[in-house]
Amino acid sequence: MIDRLLESARARVDGADALWRREEQTAVTFESGRLKSAGISEEAGLNLRVLAKGRMGVAGTTAAKPDPKELVARAAASAELGESVDLAFPAPSPQSLTPIPTFFDRTANASLAELIRMGRLLVERLARPECQVNVSVQREVADTAVGNTAGARGEYRATGIGVTAEITRIAGDDVLMIYDQYVGADLPSDADLETLVRSIETRLTAALKIVTPPDGALPVVFTPAGLAAVVLPLEQALSGKTVLQGSSPLAGKVGETLFDARLSIFDDPLTPGRPSSRPIDDECVPSRATGLVERGAVGRFVYDLETAARAKTQSTGNGRRGVFGKPHIGYTNVLLRGGDGHVTGVPLLGGGLIADIQDGLIVDDLIGVGQGNVISGAFSHPVGLAYRVQRGEVTGRVKDAAVAGNAYDLLKRIGGFGNDGRWLGSRWSPSLLLDGVSIARR
Amino acid sequence: MAFRGRRLETATVSEDQGGFVRVLNPGHGWGIASFTSLDELPAMVKRANELSNAVRLDEPIRLADVAPQTADAVLELDGDVRGVPLAEKKKLLDRYNSAMLAVSNKIVDTQSSYRDEVSEVWYVNSEGTSLYQRRPEVVVSGTAIARRNGDIEKGLESIGLRKGWNSVQGFEERFRVVAQRAVDLLAAPRVRGASYPVILDNELAGVFIHEAFGHLSEADFVYENPQAREMMTLGRRFGKPVLNVGDNGAAKGLRGTLPYDDEGTPTQDTPLIKEGILVGRLHSRETAAKLGERPTGNARAISFRHPPIVRMTNTYIAPGKKGIGFNDLISDIKLGVYACGAFGGQTMLENFSFTAGWGYMIRDGKVAELVKDVVLAGNLFQTLDRIDHIAGDFTWNQMGGGCGKGGQFPLPVTEGAPHVRIEEALIGGDV
Repeated sequence: MIDRLLESARARVDGADALWRREEQTAVTFESGRLKSAGISEEAGLNLRVLAKGRMGVAGTTAAKPDPKELVARAAASAELGESVDLAFPAPSPQSLTPIPTFFDRTANASLAELIRMGRLLVERLARPECQVNVSVQREVADTAVGNTAGARGEYRATGIGVTAEITRIAGDDVLMIYDQYVGADLPSDADLETLVRSIETRLTAALKIVTPPDGALPVVFTPAGLAAVVLPLEQALSGKTVLQGSSPLAGKVGETLFDARLSIFDDPLTPGRPSSRPIDDECVPSRATGLVERGAVGRFVYDLETAARAKTQSTGNGRRGVFGKPHIGYTNVLLRGGDGHVTGVPLLGGGLIADIQDGLIVDDLIGVGQGNVISGAFSHPVGLAYRVQRGEVTGRVKDAAVAGNAYDLLKRIGGFGNDGRWLGSRWSPSLLLDGVSIARR
Repeated sequence: MAFRGRRLETATVSEDQGGFVRVLNPGHGWGIASFTSLDELPAMVKRANELSNAVRLDEPIRLADVAPQTADAVLELDGDVRGVPLAEKKKLLDRYNSAMLAVSNKIVDTQSSYRDEVSEVWYVNSEGTSLYQRRPEVVVSGTAIARRNGDIEKGLESIGLRKGWNSVQGFEERFRVVAQRAVDLLAAPRVRGASYPVILDNELAGVFIHEAFGHLSEADFVYENPQAREMMTLGRRFGKPVLNVGDNGAAKGLRGTLPYDDEGTPTQDTPLIKEGILVGRLHSRETAAKLGERPTGNARAISFRHPPIVRMTNTYIAPGKKGIGFNDLISDIKLGVYACGAFGGQTMLENFSFTAGWGYMIRDGKVAELVKDVVLAGNLFQTLDRIDHIAGDFTWNQMGGGCGKGGQFPLPVTEGAPHVRIEEALIGGDV
């Protein structure tokens, strides 16, 4: 399909690249503890980008039998309006692509009955009086092919599985929701599912008692789930796009130590067994790891082909594209590391960081993350799920409190890295202890 | 089509097609298949049937009755976008984008987008309903980023209509205003975090009622959850008698308007809160049957890739008495906050957080200085109960973007409200 399309493009425009992807999903959902539905979804699509007279155009289709000529004509029409860009499609890589396991037979071959069995196991293990349990299990098999008129080609198959569990407990007007997930390329073992159950259980048990929130600038442990508000500004500011546009506060700071010297953040598409891993990006750039923050210093920004061309630098292999839009910058697996990276079995709430806290919080979920002026680093959010820590112990759940701070300032001095490092979606991180976070109560 | 700064980022035309089949066999669960290859339709019906049979249920799923409907529901195109050349669309967006950039050299970046769509939707079910619907949509949005030294502020404008090309002309001034505000916010102080009397402008009040209350009134939240059902018992007092709330999928010409929902149920105006009392909720056929209530036409899917689930359409706070204006709401406030516009909102059931686009302090009954970082946080029940005055200046706010739920985003919805006063609410900011 790709070859025919690129052939057709070669006759009409100066250069082109394309992505073809076919995805098959199977999902089962349990609502309020009972199996409710089973579904499949099949989708195939083709995305084409062309360069014509130095201008770029894009077209996409989900048609079952796309007409290459029509798609090229549509992309060429889009290029007529485009601004010029000095973009060169990468030539075939002299080395073969790094082989990484992205496809797991037993994930691809897992029967509907097996997916139902996993869901049911979670439902049974999480069942509690007065609590509603929702569970979903979703398996995906994707085939991807990329190619360009410079002769580069890439093809790979990938599997992914996502298991989510959510427990809701309503007592009067108090609503408590606790969520967790397993996401991987390989099927979870029953031990993995048990870890998920224990993680929810630990947080539920500690949440049953409601206590008054503290007030003032205090130490706060952000769990891997609670950390989003702190990491999101960095992810935006480390994108080559915001740097190019002048909106990144980290622009021009490469090599400067702006964060705690133990903190390193990587984007690593070659992490084995992750659904976001891939040997090649969606623009035919071979995958490799990028040091975003290295021992506290600003490392590299991430780029796709177009942004790199405009910024006069190289793509970092972070090109991502769907069927319809043009390629854009996307992170693959983001790994946040520091300390010794030690991980204990089933982690305690707080990742072993609360022993020295006289008064403070563990923040597991904030409401409204991603809203507002994220890239500035300033955040202010009410807590979705948070626990008070007093004299080194968790004393209960707090409600009606808000936390505020600036991500760039808070990460200058990290009080500690937890022993609870884990994947959450495509991000790996431990809990972080951050000092001087503003806590306001109502 | 999208601009970033002076540069056109993309201009594309796409064609998307596909199908969705749902099967419900007696004593079994839903079997679902979605697909892009329409040739596969008969095979997909078979697969969905097999999947339904694979899900055994002790308590069967029932659907509330809806009389079979047959109709061609063709919404007015108002200037068919398919006849307008891409170059014309580029010119229009360029004008709005340039209006923002021209405001000041402190506007360092803009993001503008134009998107139009005409969807044709065929719906049939085994009970005899057969519908053809044509749904046009057009959205123009812009973000202006202002920067001074390390400070960055933004202004947003977004217009989303279930109409066509003619309806999105002549908005230059609206884009200029948001860019100017982003510049003004650079010099504005952060609001001091505390509890204040708060006035919500029409836009923020609409977002508030959608996010904080609307989602709880979606019956799929309560229908299988006895505790939630208790919390949302019809007849429960939710606010003072000034408060009236509803959802109207049949309102004329709005972005959330549809003649029929995605289960073939006709849409309607559904009262949710009447004089402070909870009187209704939003239903699909399944949730209505389970609760012994009537379907309201609120089962919606963003595309053939997803099943219909209970969603809002055009959600509103009804206006207070005619003649009550904004000044009547603030005249007795010594120190308060006037929160305007919405950068976003999120709820976790009874807790919510809204980021206003900007705000003003209210001092001695008058609007005073511009303030930034106005985040409104609180508990739904307390906050609804603290709404003590509602103005008569109702407007629908037709924005782009849309609502997200269950992985389905963006669903076109509209919110409408007058100015609303909350006696006391927590405003985050410097704490």
